[in-house]
Amino acid sequence: MKKRRFSILIAGVVLSCAAAQTAAQAQNVVIIVNNEVRATAASSDDIRGIFTGDKSSLGDGSRVTPVTLKGGPAHEAFLKTYAGKGDAAFRTGWRNLVFTGQGAMPKMFDSEAALVDYVAATPGAIGYVSRGTDVGKAKTLVVR
Amino acid sequence: MFRRLSILASLCACAGAGLAQDLSTIQIHGFATQGFLYSSTNNYLSANTSSGSLAWNDGAVSVSDTLSDKLRVGIQLHMYQLGDLGGPTLQVDWATGDYKLNDHFGFRAGKFKIPIGLFNDSQDVDAVHLWALLPQSVYPTDNRGVTLAATGGEFYGSAKLAKKAGTLVYRAYAGSRPLDLNGGYVKSLNLDLQGLDSAFGLSATLVTTAPSGTVFGGDVRWQTPLKGLLVGSSAFVEDMHGSAGAVAFTISRNTVTQQYAQFERGRFFVAGEVKRVPVDFFFVATTPLGPVRVPYYLDWRAWYVMTSYRVIEKLQVGTYYSHFVDTRGAEGPAPIDNYSRDWTVSARYDFNSYFYGKLEEHFIHGTALGYYPDTNPNGEQPRSNVLAAKIGFSF
Repeated sequence: MKKRRFSILIAGVVLSCAAAQTAAQAQNVVIIVNNEVRATAASSDDIRGIFTGDKSSLGDGSRVTPVTLKGGPAHEAFLKTYAGKGDAAFRTGWRNLVFTGQGAMPKMFDSEAALVDYVAATPGAIGYVSRGTDVGKAKTLVVR
Repeated sequence: MFRRLSILASLCACAGAGLAQDLSTIQIHGFATQGFLYSSTNNYLSANTSSGSLAWNDGAVSVSDTLSDKLRVGIQLHMYQLGDLGGPTLQVDWATGDYKLNDHFGFRAGKFKIPIGLFNDSQDVDAVHLWALLPQSVYPTDNRGVTLAATGGEFYGSAKLAKKAGTLVYRAYAGSRPLDLNGGYVKSLNLDLQGLDSAFGLSATLVTTAPSGTVFGGDVRWQTPLKGLLVGSSAFVEDMHGSAGAVAFTISRNTVTQQYAQFERGRFFVAGEVKRVPVDFFFVATTPLGPVRVPYYLDWRAWYVMTSYRVIEKLQVGTYYSHFVDTRGAEGPAPIDNYSRDWTVSARYDFNSYFYGKLEEHFIHGTALGYYPDTNPNGEQPRSNVLAAKIGFSF
């Protein structure tokens, strides 16, 4: 009986740690959109749908086009938090859409500064950067 | 004169700016693969695999342009070689104008990939799969042209269900579908025609005009509230007509059905599909004694289960079991020709974002799939193992 309780306790601790890690990763990255996008908030399901090519608009109907980083900590944190997959699987998903005629590959940027500049200048653009990055004229989206 | 030059210069500048803007939205992507097949006994997929065959490659280039936030146009050209099948001719894989009004409704017109099950529309895109060969019971590589694409129209969309009930993704289409003259289906037809022509004393003929017919159907998939779990169902209705010399052949309208489920969480993936293909097929041979009708009724049942795990970011391993049987029963040929069972183990390594390699072993029992009498003139053995290796490049 004691052994079973101990196992449940360990499982609980592991799950809590995993949840805390995900939450920490979510706090490390922020979603930014072009200032002309009406929405100020979005659900994490919307974000996942947009960055996996399943959706093209936010919950309020704002039409958006995703752009991504090519790599780095912010990219990894974003994928883990919102897409639930690694970079290789993420790219494969987009290649699937491109080569079956169902979508266009998101623009990819080497640096967060370049991504911010593009999002700020491009109507409908949506991307992500590390928390604390200067987002310039882009707007930060609250993710519920 | 100066004024005219100024106007011309202004027009050129505007056109240049417009062109630059347009070019920035054009995307060009592509892939190319080279494969190797080696089998322990039977020659597989029309290639001389028992001696080792490199006659297995394919490649594609796609060009697309986003004309507005709702309208996109694109085309993909594709070529492949697999043993006797395919060749150097470029084929239009898809070419569509795609108008997406919103997430609930979009429309594609042109030549589009047909959505059946999990992988029908991507079965000729090697770069997106772990497997060198998808489960052949459901996605036979040599016959993929039969269901791959159609020319017509398709509408698509998705709808979020009631709170926490997931999302429905739907597609429906109608069009016409000419068969690939260099594909396995036409190769099999030609081999059947040889037998018919010989039996009725007709001069030997080959299919030279692509058989075609109408298709329509749809696919509905439910992204369940359980993150990563997807279930769906597809229906594909087809008919086909064609002729070669004094023989005409017809597939009466039939419905192919496919149900599927997949679960993907982190590095882990598991999926399964069930497919049924009931086909009422008949030849009509115009003989000196009058027309003779030769019917074939096929009832193919196929299923597979697969699982894979991404060991590290660059390495993915997996296995599947694929099962096929033709349930014609007593009217069918010998039992060994009536089924195919395939255990497969596979690994894929991504060297970087562009290059990858695959290594795969198939343990095949039964000869219903992938074998042709002309490449196995001494008959087929019930068991054959096949090693499949591939390298690929995608951008």
